[in-house]
Amino acid sequence: MTIGTQAFAFVRELVRAESAIVLETGKEYLVESRLVPLARAAGHPDVDAYVADLSKRRTPAALKQVVEALTTNETSWFRDSDPFTALRQSVFPALAKTRSNRTIRIWAGACSSGQEPYSIVMTALDTPELAGWRVEVVATDLSDEMLDRARKGEYSQLEVNRGLPATTMVRHFERSGLSWRINQSIRDRVEFRHLNLTRPLPPMGRFDVVFLRNVLIYFDLPTKRDVLKRVRQVMAPDGHLFLGAAEMTMGVDDAWERVPAGRSSVYRIREEQRTCVP
Amino acid sequence: MRAVIVDDSRAMRRIVGRILGDAGYEISEAGDGLEALAVLEGLESPPELACVDWNMPVMDGLTFITEVRKRPEWRSITLMMVTTESEQDRIVRALAAGAHEYLIKPFTGEAMLEKLDLLGLLPTSTGV
Amino acid sequence: MTSASAPDEALVLAAIEQVWGSMLYASAEPWPADRPAEFESGLQAQIELRGEWNGRLVLTCDSEVATQIAGAMLGVGPDEGLEQPDVHDAVGEVLNVVGGSVKGALPGTSALGLPGVSEVTAVPSRGESFVVSWGDAPVYVQIVPDAA
Repeated sequence: MTIGTQAFAFVRELVRAESAIVLETGKEYLVESRLVPLARAAGHPDVDAYVADLSKRRTPAALKQVVEALTTNETSWFRDSDPFTALRQSVFPALAKTRSNRTIRIWAGACSSGQEPYSIVMTALDTPELAGWRVEVVATDLSDEMLDRARKGEYSQLEVNRGLPATTMVRHFERSGLSWRINQSIRDRVEFRHLNLTRPLPPMGRFDVVFLRNVLIYFDLPTKRDVLKRVRQVMAPDGHLFLGAAEMTMGVDDAWERVPAGRSSVYRIREEQRTCVP
Repeated sequence: MRAVIVDDSRAMRRIVGRILGDAGYEISEAGDGLEALAVLEGLESPPELACVDWNMPVMDGLTFITEVRKRPEWRSITLMMVTTESEQDRIVRALAAGAHEYLIKPFTGEAMLEKLDLLGLLPTSTGV
Repeated sequence: MTSASAPDEALVLAAIEQVWGSMLYASAEPWPADRPAEFESGLQAQIELRGEWNGRLVLTCDSEVATQIAGAMLGVGPDEGLEQPDVHDAVGEVLNVVGGSVKGALPGTSALGLPGVSEVTAVPSRGESFVVSWGDAPVYVQIVPDAA
């Protein structure tokens, strides 16, 4: 069952008004899956009935809940799994052959509560070709609150249930009361910084890999284009960019080409464009 | 795809059954480890998955997993503990006994589907 | 028995919040001390913890609240007629998960019993319990160490 057109339109307008985030047509499944728990909690049989009721009453607290449910980033470990498999099986081994300083720098561009940068570090530790290498991850987010959470590296039971293999969990985490804390050795490899992707980037050096997944979907076309251009400026010419499964550079910034990597794909700066980057 | 859900709580069996059912599984249920062994014996071929609670009357989940691992004809079954037991040493013990994954209660439907995805046991795309 | 390994109110409340939130899609708030929290007949669930601290967690609520908790857990509406054994089982499992979370957070606690559920006609004393909310209704929680 999918959300009705009318209900989707209401939610889209609400989210646009409150957060400037645009939920394009095609995002019905996202709205549906995020609102099911709220609908159920409010005693409605389905999302349509819930939204219909919401649009009648307009309770501010309930409206805020809906906006938050739709704008909160997903926080699974090794989210979507394929990009991390690609990282371990093809991207890292390829970089290991070309980086003579035995250092790899990675930027996680919307790190939310930290699961993505920490998953990248754990993946690097599982890559035999990188044994003894220096792996630096710079993780950025717009929200200082999220950055504080991410730096602490402490996760609830519910959060560690999300996509974290049990073997990885017992190896890299320790119980701390009701929560779990990721080990210091992993935390030490990630530097967390505040950053707004819609503004010019601060000096941050060159990156071999950039993760910018499920971020562009929230921006309009000109902003998407600007963000992708800025990424090119901080990426090594032979670097690798990971986007969300539903995102692409085509028709946005054609300096990129899509290259298959395992069951996933990665974006690379086209050969002829590489020299243009200062 | 078929799954056996082993839990002494019928409410929990119903919840897990619904998540797996929606993902395309055919479900069998058992209320303890011994009953679950009987269910496995009764099936013509072993199921792909067993979701196993730890604390149960008659035979607990750890013993059940140990028993399943002794039987070569059941080697293809993927075993996932689904339990409120959440100490690190418990998880290590279950993995050592032969569990492939471990999902801690309380969990959400999405968390269970992600575990199945890790195990390569997600038959249908859920669109989530 | 050391006091460091005894479950306290804050820990049990945090475990309840986690379970209410994830299994029942509801929030649990501390019930104001001066607000009445009476009901006639209800349901009581208990679970034992064994280890450095020995005792049990007891949860008591109105029968109607118990049915609502079971309904929220199973995703069925009030009209779909949950039988009493379903309600007992669901509330028992909710407490089992709370108990497991509490046990996991207490170093030195080694074993969790199986939940037991029964009907009761008396509300626990407020002096010996803390009360959390289920929507607009009270749920009593007791942390009961074994008699010395």
